[in-house]
Amino acid sequence: MAKKTIVFFIIFLVMAALVAGCSPGAKNTAPEPTENMPSVYTVADNVGDWGFPAPYSHYLRGPGYIRMSLIFDTLVWKDENGIKGLLAEKWHYDQEQNMYSFSLRKDVRWHDGKKLTAEDIAFTFDFTKRYPYPWCDTSIVEKVEAEDDYTVKIFLKEAYAPFLTNIAGCLPIIPKHIYQNVENPSNFKGTKAVTGTGPFKLLDYNKEHGTYLYEANENYYLGKPRVDRIRFVKVSGQMIPAALQKGTVNAGEIPPEVVSKFQQNFKVLSSGHDWNAKLIFNHNIKPFCEKEFRQAVAYAIDRNRLVKISQRGHALAGSPGMLPPDSFWYAPEIKKYEFNPELSRKMLKKLGCNQQNFEILTTSRFSRDAELIKEDLEKVGLIVSIRSLEDKTLDARIEDWDFQMAINGHGGLNGDPQCFNKFVLGGDFNSVRYRKNEELVAMLEKQLSIMNDERRREVVREIQEVYAAELPALTLYYPNWHWAHDGKVGLYYTPGGVSIGIPVPLNKLAFLEGHNVR
Amino acid sequence: MHINYVNTIKKNSLGITGILLLFFMSLLAFIAPVLAQYSPVEPSTQTLAFPSASHWLGTNDIGQDIFSRLIYGARTSLLIAAGAGSLTAFIGAFLGISAALAGGICEKIIMRAADILLIIPNMVVIILVAAYLRPGIAALILVIAVFGWQGNARVIRSQALSLKERAHVAAAKAFGAGNLYILFKHIIPDLFPLITTSFIYHARRAVFMEAGLAFLGISDPAVISWGTMLNRALDFSYLNNWYWLIPPGAALSITIVSFTFLGYALEETIDLRLGDKNA
Repeated sequence: MAKKTIVFFIIFLVMAALVAGCSPGAKNTAPEPTENMPSVYTVADNVGDWGFPAPYSHYLRGPGYIRMSLIFDTLVWKDENGIKGLLAEKWHYDQEQNMYSFSLRKDVRWHDGKKLTAEDIAFTFDFTKRYPYPWCDTSIVEKVEAEDDYTVKIFLKEAYAPFLTNIAGCLPIIPKHIYQNVENPSNFKGTKAVTGTGPFKLLDYNKEHGTYLYEANENYYLGKPRVDRIRFVKVSGQMIPAALQKGTVNAGEIPPEVVSKFQQNFKVLSSGHDWNAKLIFNHNIKPFCEKEFRQAVAYAIDRNRLVKISQRGHALAGSPGMLPPDSFWYAPEIKKYEFNPELSRKMLKKLGCNQQNFEILTTSRFSRDAELIKEDLEKVGLIVSIRSLEDKTLDARIEDWDFQMAINGHGGLNGDPQCFNKFVLGGDFNSVRYRKNEELVAMLEKQLSIMNDERRREVVREIQEVYAAELPALTLYYPNWHWAHDGKVGLYYTPGGVSIGIPVPLNKLAFLEGHNVR
Repeated sequence: MHINYVNTIKKNSLGITGILLLFFMSLLAFIAPVLAQYSPVEPSTQTLAFPSASHWLGTNDIGQDIFSRLIYGARTSLLIAAGAGSLTAFIGAFLGISAALAGGICEKIIMRAADILLIIPNMVVIILVAAYLRPGIAALILVIAVFGWQGNARVIRSQALSLKERAHVAAAKAFGAGNLYILFKHIIPDLFPLITTSFIYHARRAVFMEAGLAFLGISDPAVISWGTMLNRALDFSYLNNWYWLIPPGAALSITIVSFTFLGYALEETIDLRLGDKNA
């Protein structure tokens, strides 16, 4: 009898569970989509983890900044038409005082409900004096004064041309009431650390799985975002086309071979040439400290062949002056180092460097380039071995100068030519940290203070010429990148790149009503 | 007294299959320059080509002929199998016999080292060490051998301890034979079947490890390897490139299966003989 009762009870439970599961009341907790808009907009990324999306803990690469920028706003921001106000309603530059005055919007609130005031702006700049924000050098700022709650004056030590794009449009404004007690911002993580004023709030970050989940900030001062949630998921590069076709993701980067196929059913975005792959020399050790050796290596490498073979034609050959041909600042007349193995061999012989063993560090992404370069260098008498490392290990080895030659890459080339200072004089792994040529250093510093574009262009042209002659790194190519998306959100590549020049079509303004293009 | 390997394998169908498959792969490796229509390393601008009369298995992402790379890949696999197999078998035999004959502190040190290596998952250690060494075939052989001898050494030590006490060894000693004479005349020949099995086992393991490490990208990308081919082919799987993905997988499977069959056939015979002797 007891047995029968137990069996009956189990059957009852199973039936009850089934009925409950099938009833109309069983709803997903995710918000319902509106106007054909997905409730969760999913972006595929083949790396996944780009660090905790707070200003001081995101990884120092474009996608890390993008994830942080959804939460934190800057004074101004670039969209498809150029610079526009974000936290600042309007601004003006006082040349006599060398001062920018920003009038802030009065309707901005932090995610915790507190109002944003000029005190927060002044605090952010002061904070960067104590804890420099690696993406944005604020050392040019003399002082910041909060004139009233909604007016802030930023005094500069000297004229600084890229102030709007590279400081006002890059420095994430942080809340004074939270960050004022923070002693170690790079270790400051958690809900409070991601209290911003941006259009999205962080709901979940999973380092191991490389996923991010954001929810729309309903009280955003430019209006509630058009999607309720944004999710970044890790999907390997080769699986992104399939994920897009199945509809499991809304947007992602696609390989160039499938572009024509995707153009039929998806919106395909093609990048400019803001990103470069480069061969970096450790110019602190012999023989790489000799510029003639670096030049000999440049002559030995057939960059057009790299484009044709490793990039299968989907790239532009690199300019030794670093900037791409489609940049406003590009100098076409600089030394090109056209492929000339004979000259390279002679130069190496003169330097007594043939038959030496060298190692090229790379990642799987550039291993094909490394193979082709090895072949080229072996033809001129250098013996080369290749070592493939994980991305972040390679970055760390470059930063520690623990390499001979390395192939790595970065974007930001189509933004303000301040990028030259960042990639030549900066202190991180993306920079060649080259100060051996005083003329180059002086010109780099000078170009920042020239407010007239044409005059500045002339100096930037000379910089490219000297850089190409010194060759602390050789730009190999600028790849063509393609993103496909389902068209539900009007993603676009920001001219000059997001903020300081990030070539990713994920401008946060694309997610706002009236601020996106289709 | 000693095994006739040819007769042993002949009587065993698995053994014959193993020998034939291994012979086939070795032949491919040996005549690779004759069979290959193109250089396996020379890139070309004809990238990602579908199989055709000019490229039987198509071309890869940098225009290299996949068929040529497939047959040259056999050279890498078999070279590493032979190198790592013999080095592991030698280290295992040398340390196992030394521990058995020397005894005392020497035996303790060798056996504790073997115990430690047995506890540590050696695939993980090999991945870590390979990632920090300069990549290359020699380094890979060394790493596989240095972290693979421990099981072999334990078995050989116990067998050598048993052989030391056998009647024919005692007789040789009674007739005044020296330690070296006994070692080379009696102990090593009697251990040879075990060492051979160990070689086959470690050769198979080396093929698998090399392909695995290459697949994970922890190897010299310039070395032609089936693991690297699989890795590359997967990067382009969105192009439905079965003609690039299946051949290295099949070649890898055939090589591993050939060693496995050969190992089974030898093991069956050796176990029987050891059983007879112990009786």
